[in-house]
Amino acid sequence: MLDFFTIFSKGGLVLWCFQGVRGPAAACTAPVNALIRSVLLQERGGSNSFTHDALTLKYKLDNQFELVFVVGFQKILTLTYVDKLIDDVHKEFRDKYRNEFHQKGTLGLLNGTFDFKEDFLRLLREAEESSKIRAPTAMKTFEQSAKSQKTVKSMIETRGEKPKEKAKNKKNKGSKKEVSGAEVAAVPKAAPAVKEDLPVAAGDREELTKDEILQKKREEFFRKHQKGGEKSNKSPKPDTSKDKGKKPRVWDLGNSNAKVLDYSNSTTNGNTDTCSMEEFDQDMVLGDRDREPGRLRDLEYESEEETEEEEKVVQNSSSANVKKGGLGGMFGMLKGLVGSKSLTREDMDPVLEKMKDHLIAKNVAADIAVQLCESVAKKLEGKVMGTFTTVTSTVKQALQESLVQILQPQRRVDVLRDVMDAQRHRRPYVITFCGVNGVGKSTNLAKISFWLIENGFSVLIAACDTFRAGAVEQLRTHTRRLNALHPPENYSGRTMVQLYEKGYGKDAAGIAMEAISYARNQGFDVVLVDTAGRMQDNAPLMTALAKLIAVNAPDLVLFVGEALVGNEAVDQLVKFNKALADHSMAQTPRLIDGIVLTKFDTIDDKVGAAISMTYITSKPIVFVGTGQTYCDLRSLNAKAVVAALMKA
Amino acid sequence: MAAPEVATSREAPPPPLDVQLPDLVPLSLFVALVVVALTLLILKFIQTRKSSRRAVLLVGLCDSGKTLMFARLLTANFQNTQTSITDNSGLYRVKNDKNSSVTLIDLPGHKSLRLQFLDRFKAAARAIVFVVDSVAFQREMKDVAEFLYQILTDSVVLKNAPPLLIACNKQDVTMAKSSKLIQQQLEKELNTLRVTRSAAPSTLDSSNSGSASQLGKKGKEFDFSQLPMKVDFMECSARGSKGEEGSGDIDDLEKWIAKIA
Ligand SMILES: Nc1nc2c(ncn2[C@@H]2O[C@H](COP(=O)(O)OP(=O)(O)OP(=O)(O)O)[C@@H](O)[C@H]2O)c(=O)[nH]1
Ligand SMILES: [Mg+2]
Repeated sequence: MLDFFTIFSKGGLVLWCFQGVRGPAAACTAPVNALIRSVLLQERGGSNSFTHDALTLKYKLDNQFELVFVVGFQKILTLTYVDKLIDDVHKEFRDKYRNEFHQKGTLGLLNGTFDFKEDFLRLLREAEESSKIRAPTAMKTFEQSAKSQKTVKSMIETRGEKPKEKAKNKKNKGSKKEVSGAEVAAVPKAAPAVKEDLPVAAGDREELTKDEILQKKREEFFRKHQKGGEKSNKSPKPDTSKDKGKKPRVWDLGNSNAKVLDYSNSTTNGNTDTCSMEEFDQDMVLGDRDREPGRLRDLEYESEEETEEEEKVVQNSSSANVKKGGLGGMFGMLKGLVGSKSLTREDMDPVLEKMKDHLIAKNVAADIAVQLCESVAKKLEGKVMGTFTTVTSTVKQALQESLVQILQPQRRVDVLRDVMDAQRHRRPYVITFCGVNGVGKSTNLAKISFWLIENGFSVLIAACDTFRAGAVEQLRTHTRRLNALHPPENYSGRTMVQLYEKGYGKDAAGIAMEAISYARNQGFDVVLVDTAGRMQDNAPLMTALAKLIAVNAPDLVLFVGEALVGNEAVDQLVKFNKALADHSMAQTPRLIDGIVLTKFDTIDDKVGAAISMTYITSKPIVFVGTGQTYCDLRSLNAKAVVAALMKA
Repeated sequence: MAAPEVATSREAPPPPLDVQLPDLVPLSLFVALVVVALTLLILKFIQTRKSSRRAVLLVGLCDSGKTLMFARLLTANFQNTQTSITDNSGLYRVKNDKNSSVTLIDLPGHKSLRLQFLDRFKAAARAIVFVVDSVAFQREMKDVAEFLYQILTDSVVLKNAPPLLIACNKQDVTMAKSSKLIQQQLEKELNTLRVTRSAAPSTLDSSNSGSASQLGKKGKEFDFSQLPMKVDFMECSARGSKGEEGSGDIDDLEKWIAKIA
C-alpha cells in the first residue's frame, strides 16, 4: 500500500529506504526533494503532509538526532495508520540506533549499516492491523498527535484573537493585556487543562511591561543618539533645512541623510536647468545628489554596535525571565546549566506565543505569524539545547534563521543582467506592473525608468492604465521630467524615454502589444507596462489583467504592494496569483515573478509586510521604494529587515 | 553622503599631552610593558587564526553532488542522498606523508540556505571546493556565476584568500561540459556580473558600510588569475564510471586537498 518509506539525515544522507511494490529504485528521491524544497525550506512546516503529483507525502522530524522520516503513498488512498506508523518507526529506529548517532556523529551515519527492514515490516503490519480493528475510532492517532495537548488552549487563542485585532492599532501592551484577560476569563469554562497555564500568562504580562520599559528607554537613547548624529551631520551647512514647514524626519530604514528630504535647493542639480522650473513638483526631484549614478543602494540600517547592544539587553531580559519564573524557572535554568536538555513543546509554547505577538506587532500578517511559529516549533521540538542557552534565545535564534531563509529569493533576480541578454537578442525586455489602487505603481515605475536610464538603457513606457482619470497625464509628466534629466544630447541624440499612449477606455492588452512591437521596431531596450490599479475582488478587472499578461508574456511580472499593508497582503497576493493562474493558457501558469515594496519610509521598523509577501509567493522583493524622489529606490537587504523585525 | 562628515565630527580632538611629566622612568617602563603585551597578543592572534582555519568547505548549487562527494571522500562508498537541509562535517585524513587531517564540511546548496551557511563557516575555511554540475551547467550558468560572485566578493573570503578549487563534477556523463569550457563561460559571466552587480548591489553585507568589493582588476576583462587566491579547475566524478558499485573518480581532488592541507 505504501509507495516508500525513507529515513535520512538532515544533512541529506539516506540511511534506510523501503520501496513499496511500485516504481524503480530511487523513485522516491524526486518527490522527497520536492517536499524538502517546497515545505521544509520554505517554513511551511505547519502541517505534516504534502502532495506531489499523484503522491501524498507525510513526514516527521527528529531534531535531537537530526533525522527526517518520510512516507509516500498514492493520494487517492486514505491510510489512517500512517501517522501512527511514522511515530512507531521513529521511536523504534532511534532506540535501535541510538548509539550510532551518539558516538560517531556523521561518520556513524556514513558507516553504519541500518538493517531495519524486519522491524519496519513488523511495525507496518501492526499499524495496519490496529487500524482495521479500530477503524471507526480515529481517536487514537489524534491523541498521539502533539495537537491534542493544546486543544483547549488553542480554543482560547481564537477567542482572544478578536480583541487583539481590534486593538491592533493600540499599543502592544494594551492588546496583550486584553488577550491575557480573555484567557483568564475563559479559564472557568475550560477548567483543568488550562490551569497550569495561568501563572505563565500572568508572568508573561509582567515580563512584557518590564520589556517595554527597557524598550522605551532604549528608544529614547537611540533617538537622542540619532539627533546628535543629525546635528553634526548638518552643521557644515546650516542653511539646508531652514525654511521648511515640515521637520525632516529621520527614519530607521529610510535614507537617514537629511539632504534627501531637502527640496529647497534641489534644482541646483546641473541637469535640471535644461528644463523649466515649474515642470518639477517639489517632491519629484533627485533626492540625493551625491549618489553614484545608476547605482541602487542597499537599505541602510542601524549600525552593528546597536544590534550588539540590542542582543545584550535581550539576553539580560531573557535571563531575568528565567529567574522570575520562580521555582520552575530556577530548576529549568539549573537543568540547563548542568546538562543538556531537550526542548519540549510545553517549554516553547509561551515563548512562541510571545514571538507570534511580536511578529504581528511588526505587521506580519496574523496567519503567517502563526504558521511561522508552528514551523519553528516543528524544527525545534526535541532538539537538545546547548549549555548556557535559554529557551527564549534558542527559539529566537531559530526564528531569526527562518526569517532570513524566507527572505532569500528563490529565483535569481538581476534585472540589468536579463535586460542585457534581451538586448543581445535584439528584443525589448518587458516588465509589467500590477497591484491594487494607490500603492504607487506609476511613481515606482518612473523611479525604475530613471534607474534603467542611468544604466544606459532606453525605456518605453506603455500607458495601459486606461481606466483611472489622469493616469496617462501622470506618466506624461514623468516622461517629460525624465527626458529633461537625461536629455538626448547626452546619449548621442537617442531619446531615452518615451511614452506610448492611446488615451482612455481602450483595451489594455492591445495597447501593451502595440507598445511592445513599437519598441522592437524603434530599438528600445525595456518596455515598462503600467496597468490600472484594481482591487483583488474585482473579477472583470482581474480577468483583464490576466489576459494582458497571458497575451503579452512579459519577461517579468512585478506586483507592487505597500509596506503598510498588514493582513491584507495575504488576500491581495493570493487573489492576484489565482487570477493569473486561472486565465493562463500555458501549461505552467504565469504568476507574479517579484515584488516591489513601496512606501517603505513610512513604516519605521514595522517591516512585516516584506515577510508576509515573500512567504506567500516565495518570490523576491526586487525593489523597495523609500520616498518620493527618483533616487528613492533600493534593493532589499534580508539581514537588515530581519534585524528590524527581531528588534524588541 | 553623510558618512565622512559624521566621522570627522565624531573624532574627538587629541587630548592635551601633559609635557611636564614628573618622572619618566615609570612611564617608559609602562610603555615597554604595553608593547610586549601587544606583541604577545598579536602573535597569539595570528597563530590561532592560522591554526584555527582547518576546514575544507564543499559549496555549490543544489544537486551538484557535494554530499555524495563528501561521502566518497570520507568512506569511499556510494551514498544515496536527498537535498541537504543542514551541513555535514567530518574529520578527513589527508592522503599525504604528514598524516594531518582537516575538517570536511558539506554545506547545503539550496538558495535559501547557502548564504547563511557560508556566513557561518567562511571564517574557518582553509580551502574552498566549489562543486559544479557539469551536465546542467549550460542551464544553471547564471546561478553558478552568481553564487561564485557572492563568494568571491565576500570580505572575509577576500581577506583570508583560501585556495579555491572549481570541481567540475559528473564527468561520468557523456554530455558533461569540460572544465575548460566552464572556466571560459564563468569568466565571461563574472565579467558581466561585475557590471550589473555594481549597479544593483548584492544584499550580502549589511554591516559593511563600504560597497561590495570589486571583483578582479578594474578596466580589464575578468579572469581568475586576478583574484587574491589561487584558483584551480578540475574534472571529477563523485559517482564514478561504474556507478553505485564502483568507486568515485576523485583522485585529483584528494591530491589537491593533500596539497593545501
Ligand atoms: N552522474 C553523476 N551523478 C552524480 C555525481 N555526483 C552526484 N550525483 C548525483 O547527483 C544527485 C545530487 O547529489 P547530492 O550530493 O545530493 O547533491 P548536493 O550538492 O549535496 O545537493 P544539495 O544538498 O541539494 O545542495 C544525486 O542523485 C547524486 O547521485 C556524479 O559525479 N555523476
Ligand atoms: Mg547535499
